[in-house]
Amino acid sequence: MILVRRRTGGLPAGPARVGRASSADLSRGDRILRWVSGIAATVPFAGLAVIVVIMVIWAIPAVIYSGTTFFTSTKFFIGNLYAPTLTVSNGISAPHGAIYGALTFIIGTLSSSLIALALAVPISVGGVLMLSEWIPRRLEGPLSTFLELLAGIPSVVFGFWGLTVLGPLLAQHVFPTLARLGVVLPFLKGPWAFNGQGLLTASLVLTLMIIPIIASTTRELVKRVPVLAREGALALGMTRYEMVRVVIIPYVRTGIIASALLGWGRALGETIAVLLIIGMANNPPANAYGTTSTLASGIANQLDAALSDFTGMAVRAIAELGLFLLVISLLTNLAGRLVISRVSGDALPVGRGI
Amino acid sequence: MNVRRHASIGFAVITGAILVSACGSTSTATAPPTSAAASASSSPTAAAVHTGNPTGPQTLSEDGSSLLYPYLQKLETGITAAYPNITLSAAAGGSGKGQTDAISGAVDLGGSDAYLSAGQVSANAGIMNIPIAVSAQAVNYNLTGISNLKLSGSVIAQIYSGTITMWNDTAIAALNTGVTLPATPIVPIRRVDSSGDTFIFTSFLSATNSTWSNGPSFGTTVSWPSVQTELSANGNPAMVDTLHSTPGGIAYVGVSVESTALVDGLGEAELENASGSFVQPSVTTINAAVTAGATNVPASLTQSLIYQTGAQSYPIVNFEYLIVNPSKITSSDTALAIRTFFEWAISTTGGATQDDLSAVNFVPLPTNVLPKVNAAIASITG
Repeated sequence: MILVRRRTGGLPAGPARVGRASSADLSRGDRILRWVSGIAATVPFAGLAVIVVIMVIWAIPAVIYSGTTFFTSTKFFIGNLYAPTLTVSNGISAPHGAIYGALTFIIGTLSSSLIALALAVPISVGGVLMLSEWIPRRLEGPLSTFLELLAGIPSVVFGFWGLTVLGPLLAQHVFPTLARLGVVLPFLKGPWAFNGQGLLTASLVLTLMIIPIIASTTRELVKRVPVLAREGALALGMTRYEMVRVVIIPYVRTGIIASALLGWGRALGETIAVLLIIGMANNPPANAYGTTSTLASGIANQLDAALSDFTGMAVRAIAELGLFLLVISLLTNLAGRLVISRVSGDALPVGRGI
Repeated sequence: MNVRRHASIGFAVITGAILVSACGSTSTATAPPTSAAASASSSPTAAAVHTGNPTGPQTLSEDGSSLLYPYLQKLETGITAAYPNITLSAAAGGSGKGQTDAISGAVDLGGSDAYLSAGQVSANAGIMNIPIAVSAQAVNYNLTGISNLKLSGSVIAQIYSGTITMWNDTAIAALNTGVTLPATPIVPIRRVDSSGDTFIFTSFLSATNSTWSNGPSFGTTVSWPSVQTELSANGNPAMVDTLHSTPGGIAYVGVSVESTALVDGLGEAELENASGSFVQPSVTTINAAVTAGATNVPASLTQSLIYQTGAQSYPIVNFEYLIVNPSKITSSDTALAIRTFFEWAISTTGGATQDDLSAVNFVPLPTNVLPKVNAAIASITG
């Protein structure tokens, strides 16, 4: 489709089209290039289509079996494989007592990613403002390189570090202090696991993982704030704080929202780091420190057990979880991109926030 | 038109790649079938079973139980020394993975502490679970200064259900008169992977507590009741590590890694058996349970040894199975290698040496089940 549009598109007939008049005139190299690039251009689209189609086909029996239970039940259980009878629901049979509720995973995914987002956005924006306004120029380069390197750390390393270092550290030194806030916020009262595994530790590691995404986008936006507007504000006698508040923040606000959506998408789908830290329980978290699972970690966690289900329904339920995760990840990503495309125009939003 | 063609080629490339990956991981068999003369039986316990060194190199892949894994690691060197053309390559992905991979043919042997369910057997014609040793499971806890804590299956079921939450609960105190129990919360630790240890542990809980039996019941994966303090671990070694870092924790650990748990200073519970006495896992108590439980093992070799009667019987004892799917065996040479490995592994003059067994706290198969095991091994053909 895309190739068609390019070929019949608005390009004027002229030098650009020379040599494409008929395929008989094409050299061997041209023909090979056309085939290779045609295939290359098709692969991503066909790949995504195949994944979605296969996931949908696989998930259909589970969708029929579960119905609305998928969204209303916190229990995901593949059933008792050793029971003599099967459970039949809506005409589809699964091992005895099998119930495929996604609510635990949905709660785990939303709470861990939103906590991470709530922490990562202010940290990223504050850090970027520090970098652009107060840090000396010669330090800015190395510091921003460091920020980009943070994005390149494999997530399994984050997970390992969270499991062995951060978790025990938080459990021994931070959570006891945090628990004093339990008087005001009951979900902070505890208890927590002694090794720190659980929702809050996972959220903090997710925060570190999405800071580079949000910060690097915000840094690009702050750099693009016109020097004229900044210097004008300072020339009018504004302080740094007033200049940031009146000029920079309004200019980058929408961009921050967009980058936050992209960071959110990353946090939603993060698997191995969360799997290692969140405690792998199939229940909603009892409190802010509680062990639970996200959609992504739940899928990874349940797959081995699901494969041992001789009726094959558990794997189809996993496919339904995967499909749901795929859809919400695509939606957040798409929303982020839409917002970015809206702000990348030339319009100067300076002053809107006053 | 052109574009359509490109698109369909791209599509074909992708579906092709998917098909290739779906068909991956087949058996390594390449050697031609061996002649009967070249492979005379060499195992004294297996007169009826055709065994011997295969004509070409055969790698037997195994995945599954992390309880069985330390023992198979010991057999890896021995089998190649006895039969140079047989190599065993073992892994510890958990019993559920062992069952699944053996059924799909991804591995030649699937290690499992749990026997196959009736549903799995009927869905996969010809599938076999063959025991190679007897194992047991300890219940460990992390309480400083308290050794030989007495626990019953019913009390443990209530701990894992969240109805008993403190170590100084009256139900625990009643079993341990004279012991000062701390007022600390209990952290139940459970396996997160599809696990044979979970199977035998929940079988024990189901046998001793009717609420558990009617609720979570037993299986390689069960629907654990929600307990506020619960923790999960992946595999037996991780159970020990998690318990070690969790004061107040309780965990079920296969006896093959029990030595690391005890070195770590964790306590090993004395469990109440069906005759009302409290016992720890040992060669004597495991053998007592086998004697009581393995009197009438069926030809399918599917037999629970959980919660047997007898004053000495340890209550969590099980056969360690290797699962074989004969329909996935591609050559008679591979079948020969599998038969030979089995016969060697169960023979006390072959792989089942006292040193290797006691290093992992296993005991050999009882002699009265050997004829049935031999019959099962003899029926493995390519």
